[in-house]
Order: sequence, then structure tokens, then C-alpha cells
Amino acid sequence: MVAGKRKDRASESAAGDRGDGEEIKKAKLLPSLIRNKEKRSKVYANLKRDKKSEKRKQAKAREAAENRALELGEEPPPKKIPRTIENTREPDETVCKPNDEELVAANDADEFSKILKLEIPPKILITTCRFNSTRGPAFIQELMTVIPNAHYYKRGTHELKKIVEYAKNKEFTSIVVVHTNRREPDALLIINLPDGPTAHFKLSNLVLRKDIKHHGNPTSHKPELVLNNFTTRLGYRIGRMIQSLFPQEPFFRGRRVVTFHNQRDFIFFRHHRYIFESKEKKDDSKDKKAQSAQSKINTEGRVIARLQECGPRFTLKLVTLQHGTFDSKGGEFEWVHKADMDTSRRRFFL
Amino acid sequence: MPRITTVETPGCPPLRALTTDVLGLVKVVEAHGKVGTPKLVETWGSPDVSRSVLATSFADRQTNPLLAVARRNGVVELLNPLNGDALAKVMVCELGLSNHSTEDDPVVGLHLFRTKKTALSSRLSVLLICTEKGKACLRSIPLKEASSLDASAVPTSRNWDVSTAGKVICSSVDSEENYALFGGRGIELNMWDLESYNRIWTSKLPRVNSLGIFSPTCFTAATFLSREDHRKIVAGTNNYQIRLYDISAQRRPVVSFDFRESPIKVVKEDLNGHTVYVGTGTGDLASFDMRTGKLLGCFVGKCSGSIRSIARHPELPLLASCGLDSYLRIWDSRTRQLLSAVFLKQHLTNVAIDSHFYSEAPVGDATDQIRDLQDDEQTEAGGLRAMEKSPRGKKNSIEKIKKKMGNKTQMVVEAFELSASEDEDMDKQTSLKRKELTKLKRSKNLKRKKRKIIANNEDQIMLRCYPN
Repeated sequence: MVAGKRKDRASESAAGDRGDGEEIKKAKLLPSLIRNKEKRSKVYANLKRDKKSEKRKQAKAREAAENRALELGEEPPPKKIPRTIENTREPDETVCKPNDEELVAANDADEFSKILKLEIPPKILITTCRFNSTRGPAFIQELMTVIPNAHYYKRGTHELKKIVEYAKNKEFTSIVVVHTNRREPDALLIINLPDGPTAHFKLSNLVLRKDIKHHGNPTSHKPELVLNNFTTRLGYRIGRMIQSLFPQEPFFRGRRVVTFHNQRDFIFFRHHRYIFESKEKKDDSKDKKAQSAQSKINTEGRVIARLQECGPRFTLKLVTLQHGTFDSKGGEFEWVHKADMDTSRRRFFL
Repeated sequence: MPRITTVETPGCPPLRALTTDVLGLVKVVEAHGKVGTPKLVETWGSPDVSRSVLATSFADRQTNPLLAVARRNGVVELLNPLNGDALAKVMVCELGLSNHSTEDDPVVGLHLFRTKKTALSSRLSVLLICTEKGKACLRSIPLKEASSLDASAVPTSRNWDVSTAGKVICSSVDSEENYALFGGRGIELNMWDLESYNRIWTSKLPRVNSLGIFSPTCFTAATFLSREDHRKIVAGTNNYQIRLYDISAQRRPVVSFDFRESPIKVVKEDLNGHTVYVGTGTGDLASFDMRTGKLLGCFVGKCSGSIRSIARHPELPLLASCGLDSYLRIWDSRTRQLLSAVFLKQHLTNVAIDSHFYSEAPVGDATDQIRDLQDDEQTEAGGLRAMEKSPRGKKNSIEKIKKKMGNKTQMVVEAFELSASEDEDMDKQTSLKRKELTKLKRSKNLKRKKRKIIANNEDQIMLRCYPN
């Protein structure tokens, strides 16, 4: 019935369009120019409905063409790629190109290369801001399970510069400072030792493990690391900085994955366990007997990967990247986010 | 419809700039044509961190230009800025500096003498080298070709200690190359006479503020304000301050003001003798009028990393800046507009502009445009002069300042007044000089062509040959 109604309307409107030119004129009249509200909303509703029906028609036509092609055994028409903010990104000359010699040389020379070349094992000091309660410690507890060889030190009233000196002497390779505001972690500071750089991230959307439904509990194996979408020079640098927090030889039997996924300059953190299962597919009950022999052969070889999230879950956004270790007063910045950079939604820096 | 293209920047006039970076590469950027986009033309050297460039000095001459480069591994090289050949090399540890090691005592200051001491018949170039621990050395270096010709030229060197404690960060040599300036963390600004190797002036800590708080000295940038006068110094500190010192007036700063909230990393003087360009650690670039301490304006253009070096074109109103965001940016110094930016991949440490570069292909256009620009600059400068010359305006402004400052600082104001009147005289002088200069330049353009022909014949003189 409903479908019939729609059809009627569509045919009516189509007939109307064909019928006289005045109606077309009215349809083209912008509803925002009409002063009477009742009339305006009516016209607007009509416009909206027409658009919707037009869209539906197009979708149906596309589907029909596809089906026809399948029946005839031809190549189906190519699927259109939706236009997103990411794939219409402004062209950026800082995006790294593969086989760029200078990039390789710069990477070899940077501060993280010692850790990434397995010369030193990473050793992380985790501390907090001076006032720390509720969600902060809970978050740190979970962070300790994520990052191997992490050591928590109470902040006390020590200055961060003193802590940096202390950590240098104790041969730590990085410091992670979790900053909380109103009992909610809101910033993350990662300092690479002994001579920088220092990255300051905004932290948001923190979900702790116990708040994730059907969460798993991670083991103490060294995790695998996935870094997605770090493309520019700055992105590479941030990516390498994050990489240097984790040991470089993952223990694959642990089946733990830590993901840092960059999308539109937001870095999403996820922590999963995965499992490969050879699972039997549910067969159709009707012709079970006929296919039973074949399906057995199929299912034996089929392997399904399943994921289970074991928290925490949070989002980072880079605020500044400082040259050298933490120095709030006399610091020199490699990258600072400034307001005049935000003139386009399609410009990304990582 | 999404904007897929980047915003077009207006191109810049023919230009050649040399940048150095942390991987020890020297990159050449050139712009051709009337409004050209600058492009990376050449890269010299192989990437190597130990050869990271710490300081450079560029002798911008018509014939025989030189680029001196100090590297992290303790090598000071003299390069030919036309083709990148190393002409001479000195190890800093061979200079006879006491208690020196290249690891913890890197070179921070380097100056290549342009006029004075190189006028000798032997082809020596004189370098002033200063290390972080305050050891300075004035040394003449024979160029490779010359050493065989002129064996009698013995390299002379003279060492002295600028300071025993503290850490030198900035150094500068005035345009006549008689005086050198040093400053740094825990080191007050001090000026040295390069004839007698005596310290002739030291600055003094500014007075404590009303709360009794003073900040420890940390000078991060220093330069001489005008070309004619070595007595006025502009310095930037780690505490966001820009200070004007007048060594003929007093040891404390004459004018002092704050700029934003990040350390001043570089201060560069303009040709007119009262404007300075200031770059900070968060990538802010601004110009100031040092006579009043007023901000003239900021250079806005998505500059996201610390500015390490600024270079001013000696003729055109152009400014080049570079820094940790690995962009070389060319600005119009009058309108403060970004003309173009070039991405050079590494953290850049220094930039120099080669002013004797004219693009070959569209000669007429380029020179015309340069002439236009010069005329523009002249008229603008003339306008300014007219403004300055009206004595009423000046008196009024000075009185206003007096009222603001009160009796306490009257002495300072008087000193400033004196310096301002001097400025006026100097302006007259400079205007005369400039007129002469422009005349000279026009005749020079003709001469240059002749010179080229002559230079082609002489093999011994280095040729200025640019690709295409």
C-alpha cells in the first residue's frame, strides 16, 4: 500500500511537471524567499520529497543496471566513489613520497633511531600532573598493561624539568605525563629522552576497560603495533615517536594488537586481542545432504579472524611538537597549532 | 564544491637563496622570471648528521662571493656559493683554542669578513669563530687556489676568551667590521674592538621590577641596528623581551618591550636603520620600529615552527625566513605579505640571499621590475623622511612620551631624543648616499655586462655562472 502511495505521488508530480510551465517555475522558486511560513514549509516539503524520490529512482536504476549486467554476464558498471573529506584533502607538499633518500637519511638520524634499530630497549616512565584522582590512576593502570616496561612514579611536587633530569640519569627512554582536569584525563605529554622532542596531545573520549562491553583481559605479551595513515613529515615523526614507546619485537603468540589510527589529524587508540578460528559456516538446511560433502572441504580451510577489544579506548589530537625536552618558557617548537591554519576543513597535518 | 587546489601565493621577483639544514645539506632556491615561483635548484653535500650546520656567514659580493659554514663535527668550510665547491677547510680543534672539544663546545658564531681584511693582494679570507664556551678566534684562511700562488701568505690567528662562564648563544659583527658583539645564557652583551681585542662595553642587568623580581640574563639574539652606527644594538632575550641598547648613552637598555610569549630566536635589522625583524620560538615573525618600540605588524602565513634565521635582501624589499617547520618563506617586507614558500624537507638552520643574481632569460623584464621596486622603495622612504622632518610632530610625540614616562626616566628620554636627532642627520646622509648608490647601480648594470665579457677571458677569477 505504502509503495503504491509513493508511486502515485511520484507519477502525479511527474505529470504536473510535464503539464504546465508554471509549476516548474514555482518549484524553482526558492522557499526561503516566501514570506508566509505555512506556504514556505509546504513548498519546502514538496521540494524535499521530489529530491528524495529522484534519489530513490537513481538508486533503483543503478541496481537494475547491475542486475542486468550480472544476468548477461557482463562487467557491472563501475561503482562510484563517494566524496569524503579525506579523499578531497588539499594537496600537501609535506606528504612523504616513497623512496625519498632524504627521508631515509633523516629517519636514520633522528632521536628515535636508536630504539627502532634495537640498540636500546624502550623504558618508559609514567607520571601524572600534580593533582590526580579517580579516572587518572585507573587510566594509568590500564596504560601500564598496554605499554611493556613502563614504570609508574608518583608525581609528588616535583618539577617536570627535574623529573626529566632524573629519568635521563636512570636511562629511561621516554616520559609519559597524564594530565587530568576535573578528575578527567584531558592531556598526554610524551617526552622522548635524552634530547626531545616533546609532543603534547589533547586526550578525549576516554573509555576505560570496565566500561567496554564484552571486553577482554590483555596478557603480558609484547604487543604488535599498528600505525595507520601517518603520511606527512610531521606525521612520520609522530608515528616514530609513538613507535619508540613500544618494544620492537612483538611476541606474536600473545595475539595482542595496539592500534594508533590517524584520521583527519585525530589519532584513535584501540587495544585488541585477536584469534584465528576455523569455523564451520551454517549451511542452508534445505539442501544439506547434497552440499554436505563439498561444504566440509570448504569449511576446513576457512579461517576467520575475530577481534575482542580490551581497553582503554581514547583519542589524541596533536597540539604542539616541541624541539628538545620539556621547557614551557624557553621552548622552541617544531610545530604549533595556530588558529590561522584552520581556514579549511580539508587540510591535515599528520 | 571542495577546494582542491591550494591558495595561490603571489610569486616573487628573481631571487637566489641558500639554505643550510641539520643534515648538513646546502640547498639553493631560485626564482626566475617576473613573478616566478621559487624552486629548489641544487642540493650540495650528502645527508649526514655529524655534518649538521650550526652557523653560516655569507660574503655577498659581485666577484668572488663566499659562504662560510660551521659544522657540528668541528669543521669550518668555505664554499663557493655558485657551484658548491669547498675552497678551504679548517678544523676548529686546530685553531689552538684551549680546553676545546668538538662535542661539548660547538661553534655558535661565525663571521666572514667582507671588506676590510680581504683587500690584501693575497687571497686570504678572514673568519671570526666563536664557540659556545666563549672562546673566540680571528683567523685568516688561504683559499686552495691561492695557496700555491702565494706561499708567503701565512695564516695568522688570534685567540681570546669572550667569557669564562656561561654559554654564548648569539654573536654579531657590525657592517664596518670593527666591532663584534657577544651574548648568551649568563653572559651580558659585550662589545669587543677587533683592532685591539679589548672589551669596550658591557651591558647591565635591567632594574628589578616593582615586585623585586629580576630574570636571569639569557640573550638569544643580537644585532647592530644601523649600518652607519655601531653604537645602537638590538637584542632579544629568552624572556620574550626585545631591548635597544645605546652604548653612547648608558649600559642599561634604552627601550625594552615584550613580544608575545615565546623566546626571541632571531633579530635582524632593516636597511633603513630603525626597523628590526623579530622571529620567535613559536613561529611568529614581526617587524618593530626601534625608535618608538612600536609593533609595525606581524607577518602572517601559517608559519608553524620556530624561526631560526632571517635574511634581508640588500636592494629589494624582500625578506627570507626559515626555521624548524622546514619551509623557506619569502615575504614582502613593506606589505608583510607572504610571497611564496618552499618546502625543503629538513629543519633549516640558516638562510642567505645572493643579491647579485639576475635571471638570465628575461633580462629586460627582471631588471625593469627591480628598478620599479627600487623606485617604489625610494618614494616610500622619501615619504617617511618628510614625515620625520616636520619638527612639530616629533616634539609633540616626544613630549607625549615624556608625560607617559614621568620624570624618573627623563634622562633616558633625553638620550633617546639625542639619538633621534642623530637619526635625522643620518637619514639625510643616508638619503644622499642612496641617491648616489642608485646612480651607481644604474651605471653598474651596464658595467656588469662588460665585466662578464672580461671575466670570461680571465680564467683565474671565479666565474659567476648560473645554470640556465
